[in-house]
Amino acid sequence: MSGARTSNANAALSAGARRGTSSRERVEFALAHQEADRVPLDLGGGLVTGMHVRSVYLLRQAIGLDPPGTPVKVIEPYQMLGEIGPDLMDALGVDVVGVGRPTNMYGFRNDNWKRWSAFNGTPLLVPGDFPTDPERNGDILMYPCADRSAPACARMPKTGLYFDSIIRQDPIDEEHLDAAANLEEFAPISDEAVEHIRAEVARLLPSGRAILADFGGMGFGDVALVPGPTLRHPRGIRDLEEWYMSLVSRPQYVYEVFDRQAEIALANLARIHAAIGDGVTAVFVTGADFGTQEGPLISPKTYRTLFKPFHVRVNDWIHANTGWKTFIHSCGSIWRLLDDIVDAGFDALNPVQTSAANMDPRQLKQAYGDRVTFWGGGIDTQQVLPFGTREEIRAMVRDRMRVFGPGGGFVFNPIHNIQAGVPVENLLALYGAVEEFRGYPIGDPAA
Amino acid sequence: MAALDELREAVIDGQLAVAVEQTKRGLEEGIPAQTLFDDGLMAAMRRVGELFEEGEVFVPEMLVASRAMTAALEVLKPELVAEGASTSGRVAIGTVMGDLHDIGKNLVAMMLRGNGFEIDDLGTDVYPERFVQAIRDGAEVVAMSALLTTTMTNMRAVVEAIGEAGLREGVAVVIGGAPITQTFAEEVGADGYARDASSAVRMVEQVLGRVRATNGP
Repeated sequence: MSGARTSNANAALSAGARRGTSSRERVEFALAHQEADRVPLDLGGGLVTGMHVRSVYLLRQAIGLDPPGTPVKVIEPYQMLGEIGPDLMDALGVDVVGVGRPTNMYGFRNDNWKRWSAFNGTPLLVPGDFPTDPERNGDILMYPCADRSAPACARMPKTGLYFDSIIRQDPIDEEHLDAAANLEEFAPISDEAVEHIRAEVARLLPSGRAILADFGGMGFGDVALVPGPTLRHPRGIRDLEEWYMSLVSRPQYVYEVFDRQAEIALANLARIHAAIGDGVTAVFVTGADFGTQEGPLISPKTYRTLFKPFHVRVNDWIHANTGWKTFIHSCGSIWRLLDDIVDAGFDALNPVQTSAANMDPRQLKQAYGDRVTFWGGGIDTQQVLPFGTREEIRAMVRDRMRVFGPGGGFVFNPIHNIQAGVPVENLLALYGAVEEFRGYPIGDPAA
Repeated sequence: MAALDELREAVIDGQLAVAVEQTKRGLEEGIPAQTLFDDGLMAAMRRVGELFEEGEVFVPEMLVASRAMTAALEVLKPELVAEGASTSGRVAIGTVMGDLHDIGKNLVAMMLRGNGFEIDDLGTDVYPERFVQAIRDGAEVVAMSALLTTTMTNMRAVVEAIGEAGLREGVAVVIGGAPITQTFAEEVGADGYARDASSAVRMVEQVLGRVRATNGP
């Protein structure tokens, strides 16, 4: 599999281009396990590498990008992520920009922006179809495809900062379970969606930034998607505990769902690639979490038998047919699964949750650093970033640059999205330290 | 006691129908419901907890085992009541205000139930006053869960509300969830922290012992 992975990026990069590289080349160097001029930085390229809109607002204000009260767009309603606009990217030195489908997690378009205020009076812009009227108890309910005649699919509690799925599970009729019921949301991509992706890639290429694309449809068993947030009346297995149990009690069913999902996804990828070519640097394949804070969520055997075959199929197709690199996101402690995950052919691993058990940065770099790019792991977002001192943040950024940076194979990104409630001084300390320590050459004193 | 062996095995393997069948068979054979619970279901769940901590079984296996245990317990419940069985203690459990994540909380509840505790499951997005009410309703232990750094701080508000209601002395407060640490538990004034569902059972038993020793009989 390694032969397929040394693709166009290596060939296209001459040693002379190392200094004064563009953002895109900087990311390509990293993915080719070479050092560019400095460690590339992602913020907001993907839906797991961004920042809650409240924190984006405070950061923009602190940097002086906007007059007070200027609203920030919510570009992803599920996690309430804020837009990382070109001015913020320039201010922080961000190298990655994202491209996705024309509709969001809940099946409506991010357009017809309207003003809203939430989270301690943070001024926001939300899509026209975003529900802003709370229920009597203060919760906000989200409807699939903004269709209020359907049962609500997600809820943001009164004091919450984002949405979570409302489980809509019909009684399960074991005798008549049909994989098609869990495949309703996976369909051939529309011409309109392909055109949207083509136009977005064409619009963003001149920025010189690397494009991280999320084409959807490849998140096998991602529990953010299993409840069917875009579906009016989801069928099949939609309850999360029932889904987890199905991995061991109905493996044939799950395998069939994934098998047919993969078939649809690969046909879609072929159409997208025909429209956009190799303009995209990396493709977000899956965000299904395989780890908890303490260890793997599922057994290595379950990963190997149920998930890996489809990860291999997608990675192999992309490497054989495109110049794209592949990206996997899985939270938690996945050390025991990493031999298989890396062997499945992923080029980039995110979010590298070093705050989980057995996820020591040096061990990760030593064991897998020559085969996979660490796209994350830059700062602990559970303790150090929200609750640590500025000096602790600076020390961790310096350490992570020194551990993950040498030899390339590192795209700096915090561990998952930066949440609300992080003191803005800490955000400034974070990006100040990134700027201070991202320049190559970098040595690991402990190595 | 072949029925007990097979019952334990069925629960550990998550075989719901077999677990229910073996429970019925055990009762028919005249095994006391308390014995079927203690040496069957509870022993099985303790083993599942050990296997989980040893990294031999994982969340899906733990869920199917818990489901089999719960179904078998439904069969036993009327008999346990008839035998006048006592519980290990009453635990009110919930995910704190602003947080809707409940898989971890549910796993803890299932493991506690499988170890003889009576569970008052308050659900998710639980406000401090609801926890206080649960103590008034008879809970000896308040167990709180949070997945988020943004909601874990709400645990402090619950501990304070319990204190303001004058109920702190008589109750054990335990917490857990991905971002929670022992240090954080001490900061918010909780009596205990556990890192997973299996160790949560041992920890609840410990703190409950301390609370009961303090309170007297």
